[in-house]
Amino acid sequence: MPQSIVELQSISKSFGGIQALYDISFKVRPGAIHAIIGPNGAGKTTLFNIITGLYRPDEGLVLFEQNPIHGLAIHQIVRLGIARTFQNVELFASMSVLENVLVGHHARLRSGFWGAIGRWPRVRHEESRAVEHAVELLRFTGLEELADQKSSDLPFGWQRFLEIARALASDPKLLLLDEPASGLNAVETSQLGELLMKIRERGVTLLLVEHDMSLTMGISDHILVLHQGRRLAEGTPREIQSNDAVICAYLGKD
Amino acid sequence: MRRRDRGRLALGMDPLASSGRKKACLASPEQARPIGAPGSLCSCSCCRDQRPETNIQPSSAGKSADMKNLCLGAAVVAAGLLISNPYHLQVLTFIGIYTLLTLGLNMLMGYAGQISLGHAAFYGLGAYSTGILTVHFGWSPWLTLPASILLTAAVAYLVALPILKLHGYYLGMGTLGFGMIVFIFFREWSRFTGGDSGLVGIPALALGPVDLSSRTAYFFLVWGTVLAGFEVCGRIVNSRVGRALRAIHDSEQAAAAMGIDTSRMKVHVFVLSAVFAAVAGFLYAHMINFISPNSFDFMTSVRMVTMVVIGGMASIWGSVLGASVITLLPQWLHVFMDYEMLVYGLILMLIMIFIPQGLVRGITELYERSRTR
Amino acid sequence: MQELLQYLFSGLTSGAIYAVIALGFTMLYNATGLINFAQGEFVMLGALSLVSLWKGFELPLAVAFAGSVAGVAAVGILMERLAIGSVRKPHPIVLVIITVGASILFRGVAMMIWGKDAHSVGTFSKHAPIEIGGAVLLPQSVWILVIVLLVVACLQFFYRKTLTGKAMEACAISKKAAALLGIGTERMTLLAFAVSAAMGALGGILIAPITMSSYDMGTMLGLKGFCAAMLGGLGTSWGAVLGGLLLGVLESLGVGFVSSSLKDAIAFLLLLLILYMRPSGILGKRAVHRF
Repeated sequence: MPQSIVELQSISKSFGGIQALYDISFKVRPGAIHAIIGPNGAGKTTLFNIITGLYRPDEGLVLFEQNPIHGLAIHQIVRLGIARTFQNVELFASMSVLENVLVGHHARLRSGFWGAIGRWPRVRHEESRAVEHAVELLRFTGLEELADQKSSDLPFGWQRFLEIARALASDPKLLLLDEPASGLNAVETSQLGELLMKIRERGVTLLLVEHDMSLTMGISDHILVLHQGRRLAEGTPREIQSNDAVICAYLGKD
Repeated sequence: MRRRDRGRLALGMDPLASSGRKKACLASPEQARPIGAPGSLCSCSCCRDQRPETNIQPSSAGKSADMKNLCLGAAVVAAGLLISNPYHLQVLTFIGIYTLLTLGLNMLMGYAGQISLGHAAFYGLGAYSTGILTVHFGWSPWLTLPASILLTAAVAYLVALPILKLHGYYLGMGTLGFGMIVFIFFREWSRFTGGDSGLVGIPALALGPVDLSSRTAYFFLVWGTVLAGFEVCGRIVNSRVGRALRAIHDSEQAAAAMGIDTSRMKVHVFVLSAVFAAVAGFLYAHMINFISPNSFDFMTSVRMVTMVVIGGMASIWGSVLGASVITLLPQWLHVFMDYEMLVYGLILMLIMIFIPQGLVRGITELYERSRTR
Repeated sequence: MQELLQYLFSGLTSGAIYAVIALGFTMLYNATGLINFAQGEFVMLGALSLVSLWKGFELPLAVAFAGSVAGVAAVGILMERLAIGSVRKPHPIVLVIITVGASILFRGVAMMIWGKDAHSVGTFSKHAPIEIGGAVLLPQSVWILVIVLLVVACLQFFYRKTLTGKAMEACAISKKAAALLGIGTERMTLLAFAVSAAMGALGGILIAPITMSSYDMGTMLGLKGFCAAMLGGLGTSWGAVLGGLLLGVLESLGVGFVSSSLKDAIAFLLLLLILYMRPSGILGKRAVHRF
């Protein structure tokens, strides 16, 4: 078993004259829930976007299972086994719940234009397996009965869960969640926590960027705290909670 | 506790919660399953009994499309057998050719969300390649069909590779410019295209001993092709590829995050729509036996966009409507020639401003709204 | 050499007109982020109004000039009010279709008013052609170059020195932020439409004496103006001028040394090349978002 599923080696990134990240190194262990936290403008989202391939780091390496992935196109990174959700929930609004999850399978299916036109037995078989898997995922996230609803008609909390189901459809090894609790109420947040634990049980490594402290502290195995683009602290939730620098950054100096 | 209630309320108010099964389930708050609680999956008996039914197959959409295709097929056969007036048959055949054009462009505009203002170029490439190969080189039309499809597809591919990196306005201008270049090429390369005076003497089609030049035979040929086109589009839309296209239309960013190679997909659908146009051009050339550059000018591209817009984007069935309206308008309005541009301009603007979802869906929605009121 | 100079003169003349049309695109794009596919139709309307007012009603040139510009600017405002402003979901593809629809509509209306025939007007003044180094420079070319230079200078003044110009630039950078600062973004949009339509009309007025004007001249000129704007860098005024002149000269050289039948294709080949290779244009600093 590899020691880390994702490894960042001294990542730096600047936009124009603004240095968003300085020399960040970080390892994500397989099978654990990791969180990146920090105040606004700390560089959380930038780091997230570097892993998902939206940005290229100015310096440093991103390794996924020991192979460098920075510089690959976004869709190639997804095919390696990294799935993500969006902070503002980006569902495919004109499609049904089931279809959204089926789109999530895209990277795992192979039939192309000719397959679609010919509808060979192999294609039909692949399609029905995908539907089965999608229904299983909807069951897993508790959205099964809504399968043929239009996704944009769901209440916001359910849309988030659908987005997670969709991300799981590509059978990722690593699931990146961008502020999964934002916009959710306390009950929904705790349900989200339960779901994330279940996902970990399936053997998926999780990395979340989060604002909500109760969620992060409750479920994370390992936390990285960023502050103004630098690493402020790293450790277990307990260590972070008692770290003076973190308290200082969050509550201001006193 | 109060928060929990609010969450429930939101679910109960869901306007689309129409199936009785689901209502029964949400009606009893104690039994309602909290979201995201795996395992506790709807414990009420009403749902457990019917669980197999939730295995919705997306082919349910495909089945209704099959029905529609059958109906259209029956209508085509009936029309072909019953109508004997050659003029009417010719108009209907034109509608068929335009439907093919609209269908292809609709895959690009409606499903992939990319505009093309130069699609007449592909229509023209299909027509001119078969015209030149049959007239100047004496090829059999059945050899030129694959040749013109391949040629058009190759040109579309080469054009699409760089051009589909562009979005919105730039894509519009880029395709418009491409259409103009091809138009100029048709006009100026007169050694083969006949220039402004056109290319004369394109042979009629014959299938072995069967002469396809009669109006009825050609009607069946064209509408048979249209039906095949419908089937192909329907299958694509309800496949992995079609889902990917619709995903790009809804959110390109999220589509990429699903592992969809968005630019590759766009190139593919661009080529597909060009091939549809090429087939339409082939059918057109062998029907009229004469082609000139003016049939493939900017106005033709605009007419194609208008047909898509009338029928509604992302509506395969709207294509027939759009093609019919644009073909029949000049037949009904005899003064139409003078007002053609005025009417197209107004149609494009009014539909896009007031019912961007197209006539069919726009009117159904208006009707439904007035009924619920 | 003499031949080259002659091509250069005619290239600069048509280039100056492309530059004005390109400025119309650029101004509207800067204030609203919109590319107006009906821009070329403003050129056509300008040219044909001049034909009517100057030749038809025999008004003095200055009055006909001003009247045409004002009339087309009013059409621009009307277009914004009636069509663009009332769009609920301003998705680019919707706006492209609407402006294409508007351009076809304008063409249809122009065909009804002015008919299908081409019209011509005389040059602005009756001076004798000037001879430089064996090549002939027409007085109309001098008029065109001088007027275009004046207009560019005015625009520079407007953007750099006046509050309205700065407000317009602010709208371009962020509509929301501009609105929060108390800039009437709606008024700015209207103004931008009016000015860009006026620019188009100006291009039409200048070109009317050196070409035949007809209802269908707009598409070609609009596309060339857009090509010039892209060439120089969409969104920069100097880029529009540079792009216009460059396009004009290249076209004229192409006609002279390659083939006159390919004249129009040159612009589009350039447009495609620039769209592929450097969408930000020659002077474009901001990377084009390619949205």
